Amino acid sequence: MKIIRAALLMLTVFAAAQGLADQNSAEAQSPYRLVFGSFQSMQNATNWASRLSLRLKTVIVAEAFEREEGIWYRVVSEARSPQQLAELARAADAAQLRYWRLLGGQTQVAASRVDRQAPVTGPPPVRPVELVGTPDRTSNEPAADSVVQMLDLDLGLQSQTFFRSGLDGQSKFHPSVSLRADYYRNWDNERQSFTAAPFFRYDAQDSDRTHFDLREFFWTRVGDSWDLHLGVKQVFWGVTEFNHLVDIINQTDLVENIDLEEKLGQPMAHLSIIRDWGIVDFHLLTGFRERTFPGEDGRLRRALPVDTNNADYESGAEDKRIDGAIRWSHNLGPLEFGLYHFSGTSRDPQFELRQKSNGNYYLKPFYPVIDQTGFDGQVIFGDWAWKLEAISRSGFGDRYAAATGGFERTLVGVFGGRTDLGLIAEYMWDERDDEAFNTLFEHDLAFGTRWQVNDMANTQALLGLIWDVDTHEYIVKLEASRRLGDTWTLLVEGRAFGGAHSPDPDDSPSDLLDPDNKLGPVMRDDFLQLEITRYF
Amino acid sequence: MRGLLNLLQLFWPAIALAFSAAPAVALQPGTTDFSVAGLAPEAAGLAIFQEADRRASGYQDLSVDLEMILRDRRGNQSQRQLKIRQLEMAEDGDRLLVVFDSPKPIRGTALLSYSYKFAPDDQWLFLPAFKRVKKITSKNRSGPFLSSEFAFEDLALQEVEKFTYRLLESESDESGAYYLVERTPVDDTSGYSRQLVRLDQAELRIQHIEYFDDRERPLKTLTVSGYEFYLERFWKPAQMLMENIQTGRSTQLVWHDYQFGLGLDSQRDFSTNSLRRVR
Repeated sequence: MKIIRAALLMLTVFAAAQGLADQNSAEAQSPYRLVFGSFQSMQNATNWASRLSLRLKTVIVAEAFEREEGIWYRVVSEARSPQQLAELARAADAAQLRYWRLLGGQTQVAASRVDRQAPVTGPPPVRPVELVGTPDRTSNEPAADSVVQMLDLDLGLQSQTFFRSGLDGQSKFHPSVSLRADYYRNWDNERQSFTAAPFFRYDAQDSDRTHFDLREFFWTRVGDSWDLHLGVKQVFWGVTEFNHLVDIINQTDLVENIDLEEKLGQPMAHLSIIRDWGIVDFHLLTGFRERTFPGEDGRLRRALPVDTNNADYESGAEDKRIDGAIRWSHNLGPLEFGLYHFSGTSRDPQFELRQKSNGNYYLKPFYPVIDQTGFDGQVIFGDWAWKLEAISRSGFGDRYAAATGGFERTLVGVFGGRTDLGLIAEYMWDERDDEAFNTLFEHDLAFGTRWQVNDMANTQALLGLIWDVDTHEYIVKLEASRRLGDTWTLLVEGRAFGGAHSPDPDDSPSDLLDPDNKLGPVMRDDFLQLEITRYF
Repeated sequence: MRGLLNLLQLFWPAIALAFSAAPAVALQPGTTDFSVAGLAPEAAGLAIFQEADRRASGYQDLSVDLEMILRDRRGNQSQRQLKIRQLEMAEDGDRLLVVFDSPKPIRGTALLSYSYKFAPDDQWLFLPAFKRVKKITSKNRSGPFLSSEFAFEDLALQEVEKFTYRLLESESDESGAYYLVERTPVDDTSGYSRQLVRLDQAELRIQHIEYFDDRERPLKTLTVSGYEFYLERFWKPAQMLMENIQTGRSTQLVWHDYQFGLGLDSQRDFSTNSLRRVR
């Protein structure tokens, strides 16, 4: 050990002597020196300087200078030629040392890797500092031109098991497989990014559920108080659990799930502006996506098949119409709200009853042009979150209003454990009452419990009941998930339908479409769904 | 004279090295001009945390990577990787953004928090699977943060005004002089009745916290270690261990790659918009 120390000492002395030799010739042309830190304690400064000298194999000294609080000691390189300083700066960069440049005897601060960032302000330290550990790990500089990219793949194996065969004899067992890729890349200091998320499902029973969709495919440019997104994107608005009234930007991918939460990618230009008084979002929606519907072999569908190949539009531009939406959202203490207006082709269709040449009836979707104003708000008081969503829509028959409101109360650590239990109650209302043909929820009450087990596997579950207070139809809903290790997840879903009567497939179309028996066609569709997903 | 001084400066490294060849570097003891002598316990406790806060403030913004290792009583282990960004605000409402990078099923899950001195914090959670930003109720803040032993409130920035204080001990033991301060949350949505915080007197770094649940039973202990000194001003820990006394579970945090002064922006990097797009 002693020998090593002696050798190191000699090396330093040698380096110092070298530095002395260089100094006289180079000093005249030195524009600056590099500072590696300032200390109130001379001993700490010299200690640091000696460590740096060894590390950078050059002379780093501690020199005294005056500050308001008294004498300080700065750890600084010797005056050298610009080339030598550039070399030293490179070595310091490589060693991930933090430094700045000292111009002449003046304090700070010329351009260096460090100085590109905002200087640290605030009062200077007024206490002795002490060096422990390895202070050379002060900071890794932000990698300005680094590119971050990630690719995730998930493969899902899904089985839907229905307890009975369908109204038209559809099969009880519906296995399917889905593949989703998520590619993300950012550059330009995270100011720009690109996201792509293609999705594909193959369903063994229902060819209409076998489908491909570009969920996301967009470029983002982030400004100081704005974001611009161009491409295919997903945007969700809303606060309530059981009904998503205000959510309108993306079309529903109904074959994926009847809960209206799975959406198709929507092409758009989206500009978001952040101000003190909230966020304003402008959406220019270029092109319309038709809703997906289960095919004749599919389950969870209407009593008559929907012909998705020949949709009608109110707009002469059909699915090429450019729609628009503008939304203002803000957060004021416990209150959070959004207010928007949408003008464009309705995401949910009306249906026209048609007859094929062979006499079979079918439903033809018709997409009118609507104007919809919507509000969503949430107020949080303690463990209560009160929620409201409301819309007013014109162009879809007479102008009408609809609302969903309620609360979720979160109980933390129930039963003395670490499980969080959310108690949810919501009421859904539609001004049109029984005439509300495009929704199941016109006078319905919903109750739910959300279980968050807070275990390592992220186990969570939602059990809910939606009950029509007039017709007494009801839906029981179960959603539960947990991780299996680091790369698998298990998702369980189930629905049970009740309170309606299952129509006879040979009934007249008006019976099959009975608005007082909206759940009738799915009365035989109680199911349990298991999905296991592998993440790559 | 000037030349002599220059020469002396030049040889300081060598001189210092000779000194440092002694087994332990004789560092300056952490004497400070900070003192709580003569203050009542409450005032002393407050003064300690105000001073600690003052010393820890002024970094403007930081980014740090975090490894989170969860262990249960049976020794099962689960590991997560997160990225954290913080921004000091000129006025109230310091900002914090936490993003999960692994395991993959929860990648992109992100938490945004605004900490206020006199009001409940605002916290939002982004769930990438649903593209949905969800505001968290205040009660939820005492719940576990994504299954760890850290509650949401433990991870939020600890504003001085969120507690009342009482200095219990100002003593020395084998690890040095320390203060033991009891702090009681002002907000009744906190999951704790009180906390016992031990700080070293030299640098006012939190070394240990004992948490008591609302029935006054010992609940968790936090041990903070591996402090390193950044930017000549800030002590930042490398390790934290939160142990739940009642369940035997623990969560270990390993902090690495601290970066400061990135020029982060309150709107660009800490809005609900950035929560949606951050990875």
